[in-house]
Amino acid sequence: MAPQLAELIAALPETDAAAPAAVHAGLPDLLSRSSQRPIPIGRFQRLSALGTLQAKIGAAYLFHWLRGWFKSADENKRLLAEAHWKTAVRVLDSMSYLRGAVMKIGQTLANFPDIAPREFIETLDRLHFDAPPMHWSLLREMVHNELGDDPENLFESFEKQAFAAASLGQVHRARLKTGEEVAVKIQYPGIARAIESDFRNLFLFMMPARLSRDWENTKDQLEDLQRRLAQEADYVLEADNQRKARALFRDEDGIVVPRVFPQYSTSRILTMERLEGTHLREYVARNPSQAERNEVALKLLTSWYRMMYAGRMHYIDMHPGNYLVLEDGRLGLLDFGFIISLEGEEWELFRKVDRPLTTGRREDRIAVLKEWNEIRDDETDRLRLIDEFGAWCWMARYRGGVYGFDDEAEFRHGIDLFTEMLRKRYSRGRPNTPAMARGHFAWRALMYLLKAKVDIRSLAEREVKATGWDRSDYAPSP
Amino acid sequence: MRITAAEKQATRGRIVDSARELFRTRGFDATTTRDIARAAGIAAGTLFNYFDSKEAVVVTLAAEGLARARAEFTDRDAGGSLEEDLFALISAELRQIKPLRKFIAPVLETALSPLACADRAGNHEALRVDHLELVAEIARRHDLAEIPPMALEAYWALYTGVLAFWASDKSSKQEDTLALLDQSINMFAGWLNSAAGTPR
Ligand SMILES: Nc1ncnc2c1ncn2[C@@H]1O[C@H](COP(=O)(O)OP(=O)(O)OP(=O)(O)O)[C@@H](O)[C@H]1O
Repeated sequence: MAPQLAELIAALPETDAAAPAAVHAGLPDLLSRSSQRPIPIGRFQRLSALGTLQAKIGAAYLFHWLRGWFKSADENKRLLAEAHWKTAVRVLDSMSYLRGAVMKIGQTLANFPDIAPREFIETLDRLHFDAPPMHWSLLREMVHNELGDDPENLFESFEKQAFAAASLGQVHRARLKTGEEVAVKIQYPGIARAIESDFRNLFLFMMPARLSRDWENTKDQLEDLQRRLAQEADYVLEADNQRKARALFRDEDGIVVPRVFPQYSTSRILTMERLEGTHLREYVARNPSQAERNEVALKLLTSWYRMMYAGRMHYIDMHPGNYLVLEDGRLGLLDFGFIISLEGEEWELFRKVDRPLTTGRREDRIAVLKEWNEIRDDETDRLRLIDEFGAWCWMARYRGGVYGFDDEAEFRHGIDLFTEMLRKRYSRGRPNTPAMARGHFAWRALMYLLKAKVDIRSLAEREVKATGWDRSDYAPSP
Repeated sequence: MRITAAEKQATRGRIVDSARELFRTRGFDATTTRDIARAAGIAAGTLFNYFDSKEAVVVTLAAEGLARARAEFTDRDAGGSLEEDLFALISAELRQIKPLRKFIAPVLETALSPLACADRAGNHEALRVDHLELVAEIARRHDLAEIPPMALEAYWALYTGVLAFWASDKSSKQEDTLALLDQSINMFAGWLNSAAGTPR
């Protein structure tokens, strides 16, 4: 049984305990999630990371969970661990750029209180940080440092105010001397290393836990985080992925990946063609017609399948903020900071499992799911659940014909399966599996957001064929 | 033979120019006062009529750079927030003295260190005073009252701390210095603002 939130928060060390009344009053707000973070203006936020109720909830669960590791330890060890963790929570509190992330954890945990923090972390394959805002003087220095001259000299014009927040920095509008309208994403100096060293500290304070059975797992998570952070902090890598993705689309697709301007890009600055459009959530709020929504849904799926089959890249970060509906109806794709590239053996395996998943025959599915997830014969419940989730993910595809993604009950069923999978830690296995499961969940969520009614099988088959795979023996069930 | 003030000034200028060039091409450590004197076309002993040591030449170079930066800052219309203006001033200074970065440490020790505050008679004092006057001026421009002397001391400690960090910053393009500077200034500005009771 999940512990009471108010108790958890009260047990949180070293933070000014929120009044229990406030805790309860605040809870309904947690259910509303915002996909857009505020644009960084104002001064450096010397805010505590745990300053909001949501963040406190996240930290409280985390602390409660950590304590659980020492339930059976002797008194001395428990006290030592407690002392370390109090320090760890204080370190966490000082990491103000984690505010959004901890808040998100808190929101999810408040919604699904029986998910343990670890399971939550498994889904957090993309961490959002809130970099401190940069004022113009600092931006100028960053541009000068990175590109060798002041923005006034390098660009035809450069807006001093950011127009959007990025995870590790902020995004500015500018125009190149050659006339192109661009978006310039700039990273807060040294932030990736600062974050990494903070996490190393956190890790240090958690050392007493190294004897517990969860330690290895925690260590893996931290190492994983470090890898991801290094990947995300390097805009050169992101630019590479973006160029690769861009090359996959033609005019007639109506899908745009912004062009990168390498001469104005470094590992800390990414200058790209600026797309003017409406974020997906905003677009939906304007009540577009069914036909319009279907059109957007088809493009969104085309982009996803194209990258997957032709590009061998899994675009995981399918949140609404990364899609723009342009004035002329084209779909803009942003943010290539987190891509899973399928290569070598993994790609071969993916090729192998893809077809049987789409026949709609249970025995086909079971065989490949077992292989992909490395499910043992005695793990019957795990197999059942993964199969059900797999069926939910792939049904629209193997059934063929127009599929209505607007069915709330069916979507909720998917949420339940996904949460159960997390709770039971069934998505473990291959390192990329949790991320890919989330990717599958995410596209369904986007389809639901669009209330789309589309035929995705013909679309997917077109994409598969275009890659030249031999699908002559492909036999969907009638 | 009497040396006119103008001649003296010219010689001094030649010494400084030669030193700047030698430091740049050969590095600080490999350059001797003798090398500087030779390049400036004067006898080795004559140099000491102008500068006590190689370090003293660096102090002069730094002072020149800092003065250029202040002039540049004053010319540019600042017009940002207090934090932004302070950042613009100091980053302009860093740009100017960048060629000296590798051997600025002695200057920090002798001329700029907060530890040198007891000895405020030397000619290094100008470095400090000029900078702090501009900081006070910036604060006034932002409608803050006169900065109390203790606050200025604290500011100076932060400022020189940033310089010291910068001198040995090993991060790529010294980006860590920018972060430290940003955060130090925010700390100072936050403190001034709260002391002044201006809610922001
Ligand atoms: N090329 C572009 N054209 C128009 N807007 C852009 C462009 N690139 C980025 N943006 C804006 O900046 C926001 C953040 O960019 P992006 O998603 O690339 O950053 P990020 O660091 O990956 O941040 P996050 O982790 O929040 O996704 C986008 O949601 C969008 O509003």
